[in-house]
Amino acid sequence: MRHIRLALRAAEPAGPGIRLLTLMDPDGWPLPRWRPGAHIDLHLPGGLTRAYSLCGDPAEAECWRIAVKREPAGRGGSAWLHDALAVGEELPASLPRCTFPLAEGASRHIFLAGGIGVTPFLAMAAALARSGAEHHLHLLHRGPPPLPTQLAALQGRVTLHDTLTGRPGLAALLGPPTPGTEAYCCGPPGLIEAFLAAWPADQARVEHFTPPPLAPLPGARPFTLVLAKSGRSLDLPAGAPLLPALHSLGAEVESSCEGGICGACRVRWLEGPPLHRDRILRPEERETHLMACVAGCAGSRLVLDL
Amino acid sequence: MSVTPSWIGLVAHLHITARAFLPMRAMEAIELVAGEGILGDRYRIGTEEGFYSPKPEPGRQVTLFEEEALEAIRRDHGIELRPEEHRRNVTTRGVPLTHLVGRRFRLGDCLLEATRLSIPCRHIEEILEKPVFDPMINRSGLNCRILEGGTVRLGDPIRPV
Repeated sequence: MRHIRLALRAAEPAGPGIRLLTLMDPDGWPLPRWRPGAHIDLHLPGGLTRAYSLCGDPAEAECWRIAVKREPAGRGGSAWLHDALAVGEELPASLPRCTFPLAEGASRHIFLAGGIGVTPFLAMAAALARSGAEHHLHLLHRGPPPLPTQLAALQGRVTLHDTLTGRPGLAALLGPPTPGTEAYCCGPPGLIEAFLAAWPADQARVEHFTPPPLAPLPGARPFTLVLAKSGRSLDLPAGAPLLPALHSLGAEVESSCEGGICGACRVRWLEGPPLHRDRILRPEERETHLMACVAGCAGSRLVLDL
Repeated sequence: MSVTPSWIGLVAHLHITARAFLPMRAMEAIELVAGEGILGDRYRIGTEEGFYSPKPEPGRQVTLFEEEALEAIRRDHGIELRPEEHRRNVTTRGVPLTHLVGRRFRLGDCLLEATRLSIPCRHIEEILEKPVFDPMINRSGLNCRILEGGTVRLGDPIRPV
């Protein structure tokens, strides 16, 4: 498992149904650097994985902050983070991934947030306040806003729009898309759609609460992974990585570089054909073996000698 | 009769980290423990916190990387890779690391035995957000076991035995 361990150092209420968590290395070692707009996956009990935008200041090297909104209709991830995770306890997390970066060349940034979608913009605002770039946050919320203390710290670079008193027109709110202006939206799908209808796509960036599925490998198709020796099998979507699937089937496959060069995860294949993406197998070796860390499948069944 | 060595290098940088993926910390000196590893580092045998921790590797108690490789990666690929970013413990100057596999050499007063060349890990690109995996192939440093421990300081000589 590729993860780091985080300990909950502090937790506080931060608006309606929201718990603000401060996470640190168990010994206070500095955490990996991250860019504003980045998120982490938290690995929760029961195999749940939940993604949260980092909402603290990227300049804080020793702690990460996330804001968890309780989702009563969810599958229990947010409830566990609210009710079960106590200060001092540890949990595994992924490295930060930035799928929602600031536009580096822009001189002016407009942020449009829906509710708890405000979180990545708090990190962006912290970074831009240091760089001096012009920026402003528009937050659409229903009733009391999320993270009021953090919003107050933005010192006027925020406008609150309580939708209980009417929805603002986005075109008027955003203004004209002048050159050098980048606008960003994070929130529910309806808000993102309305934003993209009101603002030119080449100056727009959006972040969904749930990431869209990864594009499949070219030539990949859904397939059934079959282990010939154990007889176990698993249906996988196109382009699905093999290593986690093999582990879930109980197959003991070593892995190391996970980039197709070290040879640790070499496996004999019996039926395919596989899609090879390693750098070490010779053409004749590819006729019989694959590197599970990077290989895919071009056929409907991939049968491995495991 | 003593043999004049064909090379003598030195310790240019020292780094450790407590756990996989966390930033490397620059040190003035590190403490090597024979048969185990470096005090406070992730790969010390018995206290492994590295990415490969379920599979302890006795031959990876301390890792070295050539400062010249950083310069070559900058020259060949235009990528600025800093000493704290290659994630090996000892950045060397003037040491032919690839010649040392299977041999013993002195790192300061410590005696090391080189076990194998390091290979890069794909995850380093995620950690650094730099495309350094390909450039690091075949110049990713050296894994060693510690035969005689002790303190290693910046500027210490590195020499063959």
